[in-house]
Amino acid sequence: MDFDLTDDQHTIRKAVAELAGKFDDQYWMAKDRDHEFPTEFYDALASGGWLGITTPEEYGGHGFGITEASILIEEVAKSGGGMNAASAIHLSIFGMHPVIVHGSDELKQRTLPRIVNGDLHVCFGVTEPGAGLDTTRITTFAKRDGDHYVVNGRKVWISKAMESEKVLLLTRTTKFEDAAKKTDGLTLFLTDLDRDHVDIRPIPKMGRNAVSSNELFIDDLRIPVEDRVGEEGQGFRYILDGLNPERMLVAAEALGLGRVALDRAVRYGNEREVFGRPIGMNQGLQFPLADSLARLDAAELVLRKATWLYDNGKPCAREANTAKYLCADAGFQAADRALQTHGGMGYSEEYNVARYFREARLLKIAPLSQEMVLNYLGSHVLGLPRSY
Amino acid sequence: MRWELSAEQQEFQSVLRDWLARRCPSSRVRAWLDSGDPAEFEQDFAAEGWSAVGSPEALGGQGGDLIELALVAEELGRCAAPSSAWLGSVLAVPVLASTPDVAKELLADNVTTVPVVSCDGPPAGHALVESGHGITGSVRAVLGADRATRLLVPVRNSGFVLVDTESAGVVVRRRQPTDRSRSVADVELAAVQGTAVDAEVGVLADMASRAAVLISADALGVAERLLAMTVEYSLQRKQFGVPIGSFQAVKHAAAEMLVTVEAARSIVYMAAASVQAGHPEAALRAAAAKAQVTARVSALADTALTLHGAIGYTWEHDLQLYFKRAKLTERLFGSPSTWNERIATELALVP
Repeated sequence: MDFDLTDDQHTIRKAVAELAGKFDDQYWMAKDRDHEFPTEFYDALASGGWLGITTPEEYGGHGFGITEASILIEEVAKSGGGMNAASAIHLSIFGMHPVIVHGSDELKQRTLPRIVNGDLHVCFGVTEPGAGLDTTRITTFAKRDGDHYVVNGRKVWISKAMESEKVLLLTRTTKFEDAAKKTDGLTLFLTDLDRDHVDIRPIPKMGRNAVSSNELFIDDLRIPVEDRVGEEGQGFRYILDGLNPERMLVAAEALGLGRVALDRAVRYGNEREVFGRPIGMNQGLQFPLADSLARLDAAELVLRKATWLYDNGKPCAREANTAKYLCADAGFQAADRALQTHGGMGYSEEYNVARYFREARLLKIAPLSQEMVLNYLGSHVLGLPRSY
Repeated sequence: MRWELSAEQQEFQSVLRDWLARRCPSSRVRAWLDSGDPAEFEQDFAAEGWSAVGSPEALGGQGGDLIELALVAEELGRCAAPSSAWLGSVLAVPVLASTPDVAKELLADNVTTVPVVSCDGPPAGHALVESGHGITGSVRAVLGADRATRLLVPVRNSGFVLVDTESAGVVVRRRQPTDRSRSVADVELAAVQGTAVDAEVGVLADMASRAAVLISADALGVAERLLAMTVEYSLQRKQFGVPIGSFQAVKHAAAEMLVTVEAARSIVYMAAASVQAGHPEAALRAAAAKAQVTARVSALADTALTLHGAIGYTWEHDLQLYFKRAKLTERLFGSPSTWNERIATELALVP
C-alpha cells in the first residue's frame, strides 16, 4: 500500500491552495452576506485551467481522475471558501461526466471547451418536489415534436440555476406507468436554460448563500434533438454513472470544510485567554478538537480509497457512500466544535465559523441524506432486506 | 409544582440508610454472595420490620405505599443488597388483597412469597394451565423463586393459585446471574395442587408498572453509590502529580453522572407517585422510568468504570458489585427497547 500523493497531486494541492488562498475571509463573508456569485474566484480558477481538471485533453482539459478533482475541491473548501467556493465550480469539475461518456462528439465539441475556459456555467437538473431521491418517479416530461422535444415540469433544489446558461436536465420520455422497467424511459439533455420558458426562483435558505438553490418551473421548453445526451430512454443509467464520483467530491468538500473549521478553532484556542491562560488548555475544549482531528483523518482515508478505486476502474459504491457519510459527519462535528470553542464569538459572523457551521450542515442532507447512505450500506452491502 | 419527600419519609430514608450501612456493608455482602446464601440478610431485614414498610396495615404491613417501597429499593440498590426475595414479595402483596391472612404471613411472619412471572420481560403471564389434575407448565427466570416458601402462580383464565414450594410436582432450579446480588430460578410445575386466590383483572399490568418503578429506584441507588465512589477515587488517585479529578475530562464525566442521578430521581419518584395515585398516564410514566433510568444508569456504570481505570476492573474492588447490578437492572423485567416499545404504542405514530 502506498499512501503518498503523486508529484502531480502534490503540485495540484499546493497550487490550488495558493490560488484559492488569495480569496480571504472578507471576500467570502461578503459574497455570502450579499447572495452574490463569486465571479472573481470562479474566473481565477478558470483562467488557471482548473475547471478542466477531469475533462479529456481533446476538449481542452487535463484528463485527470477523480482523485485529483477531489484534492482540488478539498483545497478550495479548506481555503475558507467552503461550500460557496466548492459549489461555484463543482459541476464544472465532474458534472459533465455523463456527457463525456455518452454524449455525441458534436455536443462535446460545442460545450466542453467552454466549460473548461469558464465561459459556460451549467447546473444539474434532476431532483423534483414529488420524487425526492426516488429519481425514477420524476414527472418532468419531454415530448418529441419533429426534431425537437417539448418539456414541461418542475425541478427543485437546482444549485446555481440562476447563474447558469445551460442545464443538464433529466426528463421522462416514457411515463413511469408505461415504462417496462422503472429505470427505463428517462432521457438526459444538455440544453439552454431559456428564461422565456423556465421560471427560476431562488429558495431562501440557511447558508451557502453565494450560490443559489432554485425551484424551476418549466413551461413548453423546446429542446433540439442535438442537445440530447446519448440515446433516448437511457438517461437514468447515464446519471447513475456519476453518482459515486459526486459522493466523493461532496465528501472532499465536507473534509475541507472540517479542516478549515478545525484550524480556526485551534487558532482561537491558542489565542483566547480566560482565567489567565489559553482556553485550548481546557480538556473540555482540547479533547473535542483532538477527537475531530482523528475523525477527519479517518474519514479522509476512506475517501482516498474510494477515489483510488474509481480511478482504477474498480467497484467503489461502498467506499464512496462510506466516505460521504464519514466526511459529512466529521466535517459537521468539527464545525460545530469550532463554533463551541469560539463561544459567543462563534455565533457572530466575524469569526467565519458560523458560516462553516451552516454550510457543513448541508452536507448531512445533500446530495443525499446520511440515512440514505445507511439504506445503501444496509441493503446493498450487508444484504439486509431493503427497508424503504 | 413542588414535590418533595415528607419529613417522615426523609426520616425513614435516613434511618434505613444508616441501618443498611451497619448491617449490609460490602464485606458482608461479599460473604453472602460468595456463599450463595443471603438468608442472614433476609431474616435480619425482615426481623427489623423493613419488609413490611410500604404495604397496607390491613394486610399486615406498616402502612405507606409505593413511594416508601421506592425509597427502600433505592437504599437496597445503594448497598447492592441481596434483595430479590424482598422485591418478589412486595410485587406479590397487591395480588393478595383478597386473602389478608396469606398477606399477613408474608409481611408479618416472613413467609417469602413471590409471583411466578419471568423477569426476562415485563411481568405478564398465565403461561400455566390448570387441568383437573392440577397446574402444569414452566416459567424461566423467576426473580427470588429460590428464596421463596410460597409461589403465587398466575393461571390461564383463572386468576392466581398459591402453591407451596414443598408441594409434590414443584421443581425450582436456581440460576446464577452475573450479578450475584440477584437470584433467579426456573420454576417447573407438574400437576401441582394449590389454593386459589381471587385477584382483580389488571393486577398483572399493575405489577408491571410497580416492578418498573422499583427496578428504576434500585438503579437510582446504584447510580448514587457509583457516583460517590467515583468522586472519592478521583480525589484520591494522583497522576502527573495531581488528583485525576482535577482533569476536566474526568470532572465533566463525573458531572454528567450527577445529571443522570438527578434526572433519575425526578423520573423515579414522579413515576412512583403516579402509579400509586392511579394517574391516567401511570403506565406510561413507569415505562419511561424503566426505559430511561436503567439505560442511563447502565451507561453511568461504564463511565464509573472508565474513571476508575484498571482498579475498577478487579475483583477486589467493590465497583464490580454495582457495575454488574446496573447491567442486570437494565434488562431485568425487560430491556429499555421493550419498554420504549410500550411508550411508542401510546403515541400517535404509524403502527
